[in-house]
Amino acid sequence: MAIARNTFLEAVRDRVLYNLVIFVLLLIAGAIFLGELSGGQERKIIIDLGLSTMLLFGVFISIFVGVGLVYKEIERRTVYAIFSKPISRGEFLIGKYLGLCLTLLVNVVIMGVGVSLALLFVHRGWEPLIVTIWPAILLIYFELMMITGVALLFSSFSSPALSALLTFMVFIIGHFSADLKNLASSMDSVVARGLFILLYYLLPNLSNYSYITPAAHGQLPGAANVLLAMLYAAVYIAVTIAVATLVIGRRNFK
Amino acid sequence: MSENHRVHTNRKYDFVLIAIVVVGLASVVGLSRIIDARRPAADPSLEEEKLYVTANTARRVSLGFNGLIADWYWMRSLQYVGHKVLSLPADVPLDDLGSLNLKLLAPLLDTATTLDPAFMEPYEYAAVVLPAVDVDAAIRLTKKGIAANPASWKLHYHLGYIYWQRNEYLAAAEAFSAGAKLPGAPAWMKAMQAKMTADGGSRTTAREIYRRMFEESADKNVKEMAALRLLQLDSLDQQDQIRTVLASYKNLRHECPKSWSAIAPLLHSRFSLNSQGAPLDPSGSPYQLVKDGCDVELDPKSQIPQK
Repeated sequence: MAIARNTFLEAVRDRVLYNLVIFVLLLIAGAIFLGELSGGQERKIIIDLGLSTMLLFGVFISIFVGVGLVYKEIERRTVYAIFSKPISRGEFLIGKYLGLCLTLLVNVVIMGVGVSLALLFVHRGWEPLIVTIWPAILLIYFELMMITGVALLFSSFSSPALSALLTFMVFIIGHFSADLKNLASSMDSVVARGLFILLYYLLPNLSNYSYITPAAHGQLPGAANVLLAMLYAAVYIAVTIAVATLVIGRRNFK
Repeated sequence: MSENHRVHTNRKYDFVLIAIVVVGLASVVGLSRIIDARRPAADPSLEEEKLYVTANTARRVSLGFNGLIADWYWMRSLQYVGHKVLSLPADVPLDDLGSLNLKLLAPLLDTATTLDPAFMEPYEYAAVVLPAVDVDAAIRLTKKGIAANPASWKLHYHLGYIYWQRNEYLAAAEAFSAGAKLPGAPAWMKAMQAKMTADGGSRTTAREIYRRMFEESADKNVKEMAALRLLQLDSLDQQDQIRTVLASYKNLRHECPKSWSAIAPLLHSRFSLNSQGAPLDPSGSPYQLVKDGCDVELDPKSQIPQK
């Protein structure tokens, strides 16, 4: 818990939460100007813009802070001091991971409140969409937690630049999962089909977490779908942290 | 002393930097204006170039941001029509933009609705604006909306409206009938089906269509268009009444009136008249006597659409 708290405080010290200012400015500008441009669709556009920005900023934080979580400790050599204490490498990684997840949670909650306030402002009163956007926000948070897990995994064996690139590619491919499966079914070669099926199951299926567009129409995801998506994320995160722990465990920090 | 000197040097340094920022920004503004003035006018053919990305490709590469990209295509559709409308000399109703060569409108709306199939406004816009440009695209897009949103009675209403505009009253009746069967559909959808079957081309049916459009639409421009069409229908009724008065005057005097004042007493009970005795149309403009006083038509400056 101490590692998680320190990671969160470090993120705050690194001014990671400054992105919230840009987000709020974007929303205010959106709320004021988009009504004029969108033919009366400002509520939909505020939700689309707000939640998409939330996802995009969150992905950037997950990637750029996530890939530095372990690397910075190694570079500053603070990792030697940490591992000299009775802390296992797994605990260290989980602490780091939870610290960044806390940062993301603060981000996502404040941004969600910002979107809700923008809706109140545009609607000049209570708006049911203020409630119905939160399941979509929850799914965005789980997507970000998965991306953070992937970033942590890559950073356990690669440089920050390469880790960031690889994680971003996983984010992109993760949204093409359905295409991977379709591609596999259209392949004649058994090997190629097997490869695409393997990739489909290996890479995170992030389309399970894309609920921004229906949320903008006031649609709610089914409870079973949300629970399954959360379970999938929990399992995937456990796997990525386990692999990262295995890799870190083989590195010599003595 | 040396500390004072250092502070003084730092201030000078800051002053130089601030001066560079101010002068630099002013130069950027000046240079941008010079470059803008020298830039050749935009090639209109490029503006009308086909969309590079097909609707399905846009959906695939949207990475979960499909709603936001759909919004962008929607706003681009509005801007595209808006820019063209601004080039027209006078106000033209939204459903009569056929002369504007809006060939990108259908693909723009198609992309917006492929990215977000539950986005209803582009379908409505397609039903109202597209028939004058590409009626087949309008029907295709509305049917695509019905397939993606089978519970939406409004899309059936839009389809019925398109068919009604094409004078295909039976197809319109079928569309209204299909919509009327959906849960939540208002009772007047059923009545609309009956009207289409019995009297599709009448002014009463037209009035009903535009009245419902005005009541149901959330789009300000569509509402304005429907309101204008309702005024136009009122004006057509008024012109019929004026023609009846003109005909009875001619029967009595064997000539048409030279001016409005000659028949003002006959019109007074039914119309608002201006100081010359000319009846005012629903937008407040005076009607004009034409064909040597034997017929009536709208003032060209009237807000009521001529066609």
